Amino acid sequence: MVRRTGLLPAVFVGIVVVYLYAPIAVIVLFSVTTSPRLSMPIEGLTLDWYANAFSNPLMSTALQNSLALALVSAIVSGAFGATLSFGIVALKGGRMRAALLSASLLPAIVPLLVIGISLAVFFRALGLPQGLFNSAVGHIIVSLPFVVLTMNARLETFDFSTLEAARDLGATPYQAFRDITFPMIRPSIIGAALLAAALSLDEFVVTWFNIGNQQTVPVLVWGLMRRGVDPSINAIATLLLVLLVGLVVASNLVNRKKSSA
Amino acid sequence: MTNEPSTQSGQARLTLAAMIPASVFYAAFFAVPMVCLLVLSFWTTKSFVLIPGFSLANYVKVFTSPLYQALMLRTVGVALATTAIIVPTAFALAYCMRFVFERRGQLILQVVLLSLFSGYLVRIYAWRTILGKQGLLNSTLEWTGLINEPLEFLIYSNFAVVVTLSGLLLPLAVLPLYSAMLNVPRDHLEAARDLGAGRLHILRTVLVPMTLPGLRTAFAFSFLLAAGDFVTPSLVGGTQSMLIGNIVADQFRGIGSNWPLGAAMAFVVVAIMLAVYLSTTRLIRWVTRW
Repeated sequence: MVRRTGLLPAVFVGIVVVYLYAPIAVIVLFSVTTSPRLSMPIEGLTLDWYANAFSNPLMSTALQNSLALALVSAIVSGAFGATLSFGIVALKGGRMRAALLSASLLPAIVPLLVIGISLAVFFRALGLPQGLFNSAVGHIIVSLPFVVLTMNARLETFDFSTLEAARDLGATPYQAFRDITFPMIRPSIIGAALLAAALSLDEFVVTWFNIGNQQTVPVLVWGLMRRGVDPSINAIATLLLVLLVGLVVASNLVNRKKSSA
Repeated sequence: MTNEPSTQSGQARLTLAAMIPASVFYAAFFAVPMVCLLVLSFWTTKSFVLIPGFSLANYVKVFTSPLYQALMLRTVGVALATTAIIVPTAFALAYCMRFVFERRGQLILQVVLLSLFSGYLVRIYAWRTILGKQGLLNSTLEWTGLINEPLEFLIYSNFAVVVTLSGLLLPLAVLPLYSAMLNVPRDHLEAARDLGAGRLHILRTVLVPMTLPGLRTAFAFSFLLAAGDFVTPSLVGGTQSMLIGNIVADQFRGIGSNWPLGAAMAFVVVAIMLAVYLSTTRLIRWVTRW
């Protein structure tokens, strides 16, 4: 069967993968080449752009802010998303469950631009100046749907009879949750939280409308991009890429652990 | 704590309590802000001071200005062009993953999805690097002697916006189409083929109807997200290819910003996009039913 696969589908998949990955390859490649022009032919290799990127005084502030936001998003989205999907899955009515699930996924369909400006309007109405707190709220609302989606996939296969057994043996609902449910779904929560961290680290649009004069790595990169061609963008982008891929791969590995256990 | 007589209601109460924090968060930071945005769209400004009230002036302006009409039309066009590239490509890819590569399909899915996490801004910027006047594509073509002058249409054009948005959003369309494709039994395809159905006929009567929910989600993702993107047109589109999102964004973070006007625009854009989306999905269903 596999022999008769034929060349056409393989070529097609290859073209799509190249289409998706060519931009990434270009960025990584030009983060270590000497010509600032980003054009062929390549003249030589260097790490200067990385040094350049870190000599930008805004870079360390941006990195600190980004990491702080990612941490907050991971914890809050992870906790809220996990408890919400736990509640949704435990609901008796199928229609109610489907409606709540759809509602919780809404922020993923609304354009980020609209989420960003609506939060800006909201915080302005409250009289709260733009800044990191506002951005953190935005990051959480943007990543919550993905946490709910990931958690939901896991909880659908959750065996609620273990919970009932614990209850029959005299455990209170709180004890049952603490001692049975939570340890069983912990890998999924951590996996979803890591995903939320990755989404937060990469978030630009909602941040842009709510952060005011503060910096995050994407906001810094945006500023540099607007100014023109600067090879240190490639270096920062490569670092961001490594962080994001690391988080997502870790998220997948943690999530996989539970299915084999 | 007495839990014996009320185990059921205790469980139910816990379930309900578990949903409270997230529900409050959604209400406070998603629903209420949307209402604020809607209310603001009826306000006006006078020399940068907000004037509360109920005025349809912003909506009138959005609908009567030739500039906004042109931008709205271009936005729908670019979003539809992007969708026209993404959905068939993702459909064919999902088909190959399911019926040609079978078990390796899951691996291809992981590879496709991983590309989403290479940085949103970074991927857009990368396309500028590739398509730019002195960019990778032009300089390579010149270097190899295939062209003497750089190809101008590659960058700061609708072409650049569509190519970039397609690359950006394609993985999001593959996910729902692949899960929909997993629900199509191989027997159905073989039965149709054994009965002498041609490829197009199978596509129209078996594959498309059976993957319709996935198609609809893929369409929604690519169309709505392409129409709402303002970063791509501002980095690779230039002045000739601005989309409505750029104007909305400028109303909130530009010089001479006008929040109420921007809010009204945002709602008009979302309404138009929803209308186009709903009529197109109706059309797909109608075409595949007769």
